[in-house]
Amino acid sequence: MRSALRRIASLAIKEFIHLRRDWWLPAFMLLGGAIELVLVGWATSRPMTNLPLMVLDGDRSAASRAFVVDLGNTGTFRAPEWVDDQAEIEAALLRGEINAAVILPRGFAEQVRSASGRPVVAVLLNGAESLPATAARRAIEGVARSWGDRIAVERVGLDSQQLESFFPSLRVWFNESLSEALYTTPAELGLMLEFTVLIFAALSISRERELGTLEQLLVMPFSSLEIIIGKAIPAMLIGFTDFLLMLGMVNMVFGVPLRGSLALLLILALGYVLVELSKGLAISVFARSQHQAFLLVMMVGMADFMFTGYAVPVETMPLILQKAANLVPAHHWLAILRGILLKASGIDVLWPHAAALVGLGLVIGGASLRYVRRALN
Amino acid sequence: MNPGEIAIRAERLAKQFGDFMAVKGVSFVVRGGEIFGFLGPNGSGKTTTIRMLLGLLKPSSGEVEVLGIRVVQDPAAIRPRVGYMSQQFSLYRDLTVEQNLRFYGTAYGLGGERLKERMGQAIEMAGLRGLERMITRDLSGGWRQRLALGATLLHDPSVLFLDEPTAGVDPLSRRAFWELLYELVERGVTVFVTTHYMDEAEHCHRLAFLQRGEIIAIGSPEEIKRDMMHGAVFEAAVSDSTRAYELLRERARMKRLGIQSVELYGALLHIWLVDHAAGAEAIPAELAAAGLQVFDLRRIEPSLEDVFIACMRSGKPSR
Repeated sequence: MRSALRRIASLAIKEFIHLRRDWWLPAFMLLGGAIELVLVGWATSRPMTNLPLMVLDGDRSAASRAFVVDLGNTGTFRAPEWVDDQAEIEAALLRGEINAAVILPRGFAEQVRSASGRPVVAVLLNGAESLPATAARRAIEGVARSWGDRIAVERVGLDSQQLESFFPSLRVWFNESLSEALYTTPAELGLMLEFTVLIFAALSISRERELGTLEQLLVMPFSSLEIIIGKAIPAMLIGFTDFLLMLGMVNMVFGVPLRGSLALLLILALGYVLVELSKGLAISVFARSQHQAFLLVMMVGMADFMFTGYAVPVETMPLILQKAANLVPAHHWLAILRGILLKASGIDVLWPHAAALVGLGLVIGGASLRYVRRALN
Repeated sequence: MNPGEIAIRAERLAKQFGDFMAVKGVSFVVRGGEIFGFLGPNGSGKTTTIRMLLGLLKPSSGEVEVLGIRVVQDPAAIRPRVGYMSQQFSLYRDLTVEQNLRFYGTAYGLGGERLKERMGQAIEMAGLRGLERMITRDLSGGWRQRLALGATLLHDPSVLFLDEPTAGVDPLSRRAFWELLYELVERGVTVFVTTHYMDEAEHCHRLAFLQRGEIIAIGSPEEIKRDMMHGAVFEAAVSDSTRAYELLRERARMKRLGIQSVELYGALLHIWLVDHAAGAEAIPAELAAAGLQVFDLRRIEPSLEDVFIACMRSGKPSR
C-alpha cells in the first residue's frame, strides 16, 4: 500500500514537472478562462447602446423632429445622421455602417394632428446583425407605441392622466435587475471547469503515447489504477484551482452572489470533476496523439455545451433532446451551480440533479475506468 | 541468477494481427549472463517478440517464461525484475537528467540514501557527472542512450530487454554502449537485444536470425557461420565492379558456375560459391570473356553480414 502511494506520488510529481515546463497550457487555461469570463461578463452585462442610426426626415416639422428626439432618448441610438436621400440609407446599409434607419414621410405632422390621420414611419433594419437590429426594433416600437397612446388619448379628448395603461406587474426573483451577467458568467464558469479538467486529463496519457514513453510506463511496476490516479491528481487540482479563482472573480467583478452553501457547491463540484476526469482519461487512451485528444475534447465539450442551457434554453428544444439533456452531466452541473449561486438552493431542492450526477458518474466513470484499465493492461 | 540458468524461455510463441502473422511460433532459450541477439530486417517481428516477452502484448499462442515467471498469466510479477529500453527514446525529454532518474527510481520503490546512491552510479555510468540539471532534450544521442540505460538499471534488473538500443547513435557512442553491456553481463545481468547492425551481432554470445516472423538460424556467431554457409565466400577486385556484379548475378540466377549469390561491398564483390574449387577457376575466365579484368580473387572468412544476407536470400521463402 505504501509503495503504491509512493508510485502514485512519483507519477503525479512528474506530471507537475511537465506542466511547469509546458507552462503555457496551464497559464492559458487559467488566464484565458479569466479573460474570457471578463469579456463575456462585461459584454453581456451592458445594455445595447450607441447604435448608429440614420434619419431621412421628409417632413421637417416640429413633430418629426420630436419623434427623432424621443428615439434618441431611449439611449439605444447615438446622435442620428440626417440624410436627404434614400439612396444614402441603402448605401450605408450595404456597407454595414448603420443598424437602423428611420424614414419620416412628408405630411407626418399633418397625419399626427388631423383627427382621422394615419401617421406612418418606415424603418429599415440591418438584419445581418440580428441582435442590434432587434434592440433597434424594440426601441423604435416603444417610441411609436407611446406616440400612438398619446394620439389616441388626444383624439378621444381625454386627459392623459385619465388613461391608465395596462401593464403586467413584474417581480423578478433571483436576479432582480435581470442582469445577463448573472446568467452567463456562472454558465461560463461551469463550462470552464469542464474544459479544463477534460483537456488536462485527455492530454495526460495521449502525450505519453505520442512521445513513446507510455510503453516504458507500462513495463514499470505501476498498476493501471495507479497510473489513472497519478494522472488524475494534477488535472483535478488544476481544474479546482481554476474554478475557485473564477468563482472569486465573478463574485467580486460581476457581483454574482453565492447565496447557497459553499460546502455543498464544492462537494458537488468534486463529484462533477470526477465524472469529467473519467471522460477525459477515456479520451486520452483512445486518442493516438495529443492533437486528436484535443479535438475530441472540443467535440465532446461542444456537445455538452448544447445541453447546458447556456446558448439555447433546454426547455425550447425538441422533446427528445430535452430527454437527452438529462444524460449530460454538464446539464445537471449547471443547474446545481445556478441554483446554489443565485437561488440559495439546498440539497432538498437540488437532489434530483445531484442524484443524476452521481448516477451518471457511476455509469460513465465505471465504464471509462474499465476501458482505460483494459487499454493500459 | 546463476549463469547458465534459464532466464528467458519462449515456446512456439506466435502473434497474429488480423490476417498478418507477425511472429510464427518461435522457440528459444536465453541463459543467465548471456547477451542474446535478435537479428532481422525491419518488419521481421523483432519488436513484436520483445513486447510479448515483456507482457506488453498478449501472444496469440505459445508460452513465455521470464525468470521462471509465466509472463502471460502474471505480467506484473516480472516488472520489478526486468528493465526495458524501447526503440524510441523512452525518457521524458522535458525533464532534467536528475528528474528522470528520480522518477524511475521512486517508481521502482527506491528512496532516501539508496536512491541517491543508485542515481549517482547511473550518472557516473552514463558519464553525465556535472550535467545532472541538463534538460534531457539537450543531450546528444549517445548520452541520451546511456542515460536511458542508466535509468533502466536503477532497480538492478536481472534481465535487460533492449530494442534496437543504438539506432541512430554514432559509432563511438555505440562502442561505449556495448562496453557497458559487457560490464553488465560480467555482473550477471542477462541481455536480450535486437539489432540490425552486423558488427553488434558479432558481439553477442548467441544469436537468432529472424525472417518474416520465423527463426531461420540460431546459435553462437561461429556456429551460425559454420552451419549456415555451405561453400565459401570469395572477394574479387575487378575493373568494372558494377558490370561484373550484373553479369555474375545473371549466372547465379541461371545456377551456373556454382554461384549462390553475389553482393557488392564498395568496389569489391563478395561471391558465395557452393562448389568453390570449380567456381574459383571459372569466374576469372567468364569475366575475361566479357572484357572484364580480374585483379584479385581470394577466399575470405565470411562475416556475419555475408551469412545474414545469404540466409535472407536463400531463407525459406514462406509465402
